[in-house]
Amino acid sequence: MNSLKIERLSVSLPDGTLLCQDLSFSIEPGGVLALMGPSGSGKSTILSWITGTLDSRLRATGDVWLGDTRLTDLPAEKRQLGLMLQQDYLFPHMSVGQNLKFGLRGGSKADRQHKVEQSLKQAGLQGMTNRDPLTLSGGQRARVSLLRTLLSNPNALLLDEPFSRLDVTLREQIRHFTWNHARHLPTLLVTHDRADVPAHAETIELKPHEPSQPQVSFSTIDSTQS
Amino acid sequence: MIRLTGAAIALAFFTPLVFGLLGSVIPAFGLMPTIATGNGFAELFNDPRFLPSIWLSLKTGVIATVIALLLTIATLVCAHGTRLWKFLIACLPPLLAVPHAALAVGLIFLIAPSGWLVRLISPSLSGWSRPPTDWVIPDSGGWSLILGLVIKETPFLLLTAAAQLSTIKVDAALRIGRTLGYAPARCWSRLILPVLYPRIRLTLLIVLAFNLSVVDVAILLGPGNPPTFSVFLLSIVNDPGSRSVASAGALLLALGVGAVYCCVFLIEKSISYIAASRRESGHRGTAMQTFRTIGQLLTASIQVISIVSLVLLLVWSFTRRWRFPHSLPTQWTLDHWNGRSAEFAAPLLTTLSIAVVTLLLAIAAAVAWLECERRGSVPRLDWLWYIPLLIPQVTLLFGWQAIALLLGADGHWLTVVYAHWVYALPYVVLLLAVAWRELDPNWNHAAAVLGAGYWKVLLRVRIPLLIKPICQAAAVALAVSVAQYLPTLLLGAGRHQTLAIELVTSFSGVDRRIIATLAALQSLLPLLAFCAALWLPRFINRQAA
Repeated sequence: MNSLKIERLSVSLPDGTLLCQDLSFSIEPGGVLALMGPSGSGKSTILSWITGTLDSRLRATGDVWLGDTRLTDLPAEKRQLGLMLQQDYLFPHMSVGQNLKFGLRGGSKADRQHKVEQSLKQAGLQGMTNRDPLTLSGGQRARVSLLRTLLSNPNALLLDEPFSRLDVTLREQIRHFTWNHARHLPTLLVTHDRADVPAHAETIELKPHEPSQPQVSFSTIDSTQS
Repeated sequence: MIRLTGAAIALAFFTPLVFGLLGSVIPAFGLMPTIATGNGFAELFNDPRFLPSIWLSLKTGVIATVIALLLTIATLVCAHGTRLWKFLIACLPPLLAVPHAALAVGLIFLIAPSGWLVRLISPSLSGWSRPPTDWVIPDSGGWSLILGLVIKETPFLLLTAAAQLSTIKVDAALRIGRTLGYAPARCWSRLILPVLYPRIRLTLLIVLAFNLSVVDVAILLGPGNPPTFSVFLLSIVNDPGSRSVASAGALLLALGVGAVYCCVFLIEKSISYIAASRRESGHRGTAMQTFRTIGQLLTASIQVISIVSLVLLLVWSFTRRWRFPHSLPTQWTLDHWNGRSAEFAAPLLTTLSIAVVTLLLAIAAAVAWLECERRGSVPRLDWLWYIPLLIPQVTLLFGWQAIALLLGADGHWLTVVYAHWVYALPYVVLLLAVAWRELDPNWNHAAAVLGAGYWKVLLRVRIPLLIKPICQAAAVALAVSVAQYLPTLLLGAGRHQTLAIELVTSFSGVDRRIIATLAALQSLLPLLAFCAALWLPRFINRQAA
């Protein structure tokens, strides 16, 4: 596994307003960096830029590296970065098993089926391969969504407020599930809830309308291994 | 009272559909001797035009629908999220507003041997100093008809698809799919289209029914010998002694369209089965910029053809002299608009009077129905409103005409308005239903708490809040009415010369400049209605403020 490194990232809105300026950080495998800040501070925009899905109306400069590979000019589908959003976005026209197979790369039919069933079992979801995602509970959906991301064999994990829609009891359970499954990956977490941030994580606070303020001082952060 | 209103609207809407079908079925078997004798089927099968015209209708209708669907998909896949997408979406309402026949005339001005495309390259590139004789429009293969149907129906499909995109979280699906490693086109084919298609299926079937049975566009752009099946049936329906043959044909047409629907469902099932197994394969696909560019060019060119066709209508309507191979008129004039105003006044007034009454009745019926629905006194009938659009017009109207003849109601102005109302109401109800159902009921509660009764709430709160969609629905009703050719022709018994009737009947025998003026006039009415629909709500709100 390689570290995920962001160098001198600046993002501005179409009207020229800067969302962030010269933001740099690096996350080692197994490390977690939390981008925190209120709504409108640009957290999700930074994540979009890293995944290569930034709205074309926004302007961004900077570089994103995965180990020695420069990802900046690669299209989103070539970056191999796992993304989880606030909503689980399980595809409604596919069963649970088909959603997971959609994430898998390569392998024979039997291999793929085996991997899906094994990962469902590990997640406590055995026997749900043919279930319609709509019939799952919120916690089950969140777990399937994370499994789908992990089965795509990502080199880093990007989480955009993945726990915010879950109720309080489920949140802790899914946080634990996530950190347990992501322990070998560099993980970037976007959240506004401090409780989402694991104890071993480093944190960057983003403040709206102060793009050149504190985050500039975080020019390089090496998150510690858990 | 509320229940009665709902029942009356449903009765008024569905009765002509039932009678229309019966009026086609009964004469076909010779069971209505006062207007049709003998069994029509035997005579129909013996007619040498029968099979070639069926084949032509099937070919043009199916190919045009398939191309329109593929172009819609290509537009979504290649243009969504780009500047081109914004341009295409902005062009859709005016293109949809233009009547089919008017656009067909504009297309002829563009692609005919003496059309603008040939003029553009003549004589410098082509060497032609006279219009070439290598091809004619309409061509015998029906390809110009196919092109005409494609440029008119693609925007309709695209608008329906674009309206549905917001409900299926397309951006999130693309984002998730791409970060999982799938190329954008693969994300569309595996994640978005399987969810989108069921939502546009009914529109696709409407387009298919229209393309298989269209009459006015087929008269203008289709070959004459053999003509399409609908045009063939229309040519014999008023012949003495041919009513049973025409009815048998109309019945066969409806059955044929039904059979094509069944084929669509079978193809759908097969594609869905194959797609489901391929979805599980995990193949990511590769992004191919060349295909994307070709797709963008194709979709843009279809819109450009439509726009240029419309511009050509206007140019010809102001032309005094435009000799081949000049690419622009050498002399301009206002004579066709000024000098012919008396000639155009009668069809214009007839068109307007029918359209305005139609839109008022359609809006009143739609509002009444949706109010009944909101108060729980009638059920939701969403897909049932589509019935008149799913059955070929020829089938329904032949039957309706037969019943009208029996009752002595044919040729009456009100009969024509009734037919226009039946074809406009589905669009009005379906357009208004979304806004009507989404309006927050707390507005009613807030007004009721202040002491307002039902009518006051409806007239002072709900309707003003919904004035924008009401105006848009009214513009659509007017556009539908202005474009109606067959209902006016068959039920009007030739007594009501609307612009649509004038345009189609005088096309082959009248000066190109006069035809262009008629077509431009027919196009201007719905375009003005759409402009008014944009302006009126602002004006009303300003007055209220």
